[in-house]
Amino acid sequence: MNVVDPIIKIEHVNTFFGSFQALSDVSLSVHPGEKVVVIGPSGSGKSTLLRTINRLEKISSGSIVVDGHALNDPSQNINKIREEVGMVFQSFNLFRHMTVLENLTLAPVKLRKQQKSQAEKYAMELLAKVGVADKAASYPVQLSGGQQQRVAIARALAMNPAIMLFDEPTSALDPEMIGEVLDVMVTLAREGMTMVVVTHEMGFAREVADKVVFMDGGRILEVAPPDTFFDHPVHERTRAFLKQIL
Amino acid sequence: MSEKKVIIDVGDGAAIPRPEDKGLLSAWWLSFVGTLAVLAYLLIFHPDPYLRLLKFLPDGIVVTFQVTIASICLALILGLLAGLGRISRNRIVNLVASTYVEIIRGIPLLVQLFYIYFALGRIVRVPDMVAAIIALGFCYGAYMGEVFRAGIMSIDNGQTEASLSLGFNRSQTMRYVILPQAWRTILPPVGNEFIALLKDTSLVSIIAVSDILRRGREFASESFLYFETYTLIAIIYLLITLILSKFLSNVEQRLSHYERR
Repeated sequence: MNVVDPIIKIEHVNTFFGSFQALSDVSLSVHPGEKVVVIGPSGSGKSTLLRTINRLEKISSGSIVVDGHALNDPSQNINKIREEVGMVFQSFNLFRHMTVLENLTLAPVKLRKQQKSQAEKYAMELLAKVGVADKAASYPVQLSGGQQQRVAIARALAMNPAIMLFDEPTSALDPEMIGEVLDVMVTLAREGMTMVVVTHEMGFAREVADKVVFMDGGRILEVAPPDTFFDHPVHERTRAFLKQIL
Repeated sequence: MSEKKVIIDVGDGAAIPRPEDKGLLSAWWLSFVGTLAVLAYLLIFHPDPYLRLLKFLPDGIVVTFQVTIASICLALILGLLAGLGRISRNRIVNLVASTYVEIIRGIPLLVQLFYIYFALGRIVRVPDMVAAIIALGFCYGAYMGEVFRAGIMSIDNGQTEASLSLGFNRSQTMRYVILPQAWRTILPPVGNEFIALLKDTSLVSIIAVSDILRRGREFASESFLYFETYTLIAIIYLLITLILSKFLSNVEQRLSHYERR
């Protein structure tokens, strides 16, 4: 797998919020098709790291290269790069004034100049795939949290991104809805999507991840395949964290 | 996940009768039916001077609406620009917009009206009505700017982030995602400003614009029937604002369709 170049290359990244250092010398590579799960206590910088990958957070120093485009290069069109990087948020963030179907077709029609009928056809396929095709004409407020999050995944997929970022996608869900969202994510992983997932779902990490990244205090402390990570963690801090949550 | 519904209520327009507000709704009906009853009584039992007066006023009503609608259009454009300017990251744009709002809000409307009327008159000769529209538009644009700003700020930042993450730039995000949602929050105060503006057009009767009030004053100064004239004028303004506030309440209901389960 490592013979191809990484699709995301993060090198020596530091990020400050005022005087608070959210990321300290973070380096990480993600290869095409790879599934990386980032875990760590809250405030460890894992969401910040994820958000730097599509520049929702700006980095203070270091470099991030996504699919050959350097994010801190001002000549790069960040909007074009973002079209290739889908993102799923903890709070779903569906466009509340649009139906489910319109949520999915907005970007393909406006940004990719797709025909509306063509975009709708693909949107319906995606909605069927995530199991909410019957809600196409509904507004987000009429959907359960689990349904909203599945629509949010479909909305990101509608742009055919090369990479999908998940920022604690199940943290705002009632327990009985977590499974339906994780199932969609597992399916996506099986299909070979490149995924970076910030989550507290250790079962998902074990099942899907190619590598698990543990962060604390803005630093990456440990990167390992899930078996090694969960059964033989090297770092003292990792062991303490796993003990708390498992 | 349930977001709190924000209602910005600027108190200088008229009370908008929302269906959930039972007290105000019946107050609306009482005022409306009462006003109509009084009007009918006056016209039937005292056709002189009220019927004569009523025939004299329609030109003024037309002018009042012309001034109101033209001014609100100008105010909406300026208000959107001022509102976007006030939240702009560009410092100069932000400063210009904020200064506009500060200055306009600090000067009484009547003074602005005189100032623009006479200042403009020194440079270019503009028709009285145009001067009135510019003055009202600029004044209300500043207030509208604050309404737009508050409406835009009331939209959850997650909406912006979701839009940006799909590849939309900031202005596309504003256009496709934020403004269509902000409009829902903005509409009630804008409607309120519209009604407030309609009432404030009575100020233009002081410069030479023949609105309802000025027509009334012309009638009164010839006939000396001051009490009767101003009674009827008050009734007409009240009827117009009552009808408008009811209309706005209906529009609001239709706009809120995606909030309902």
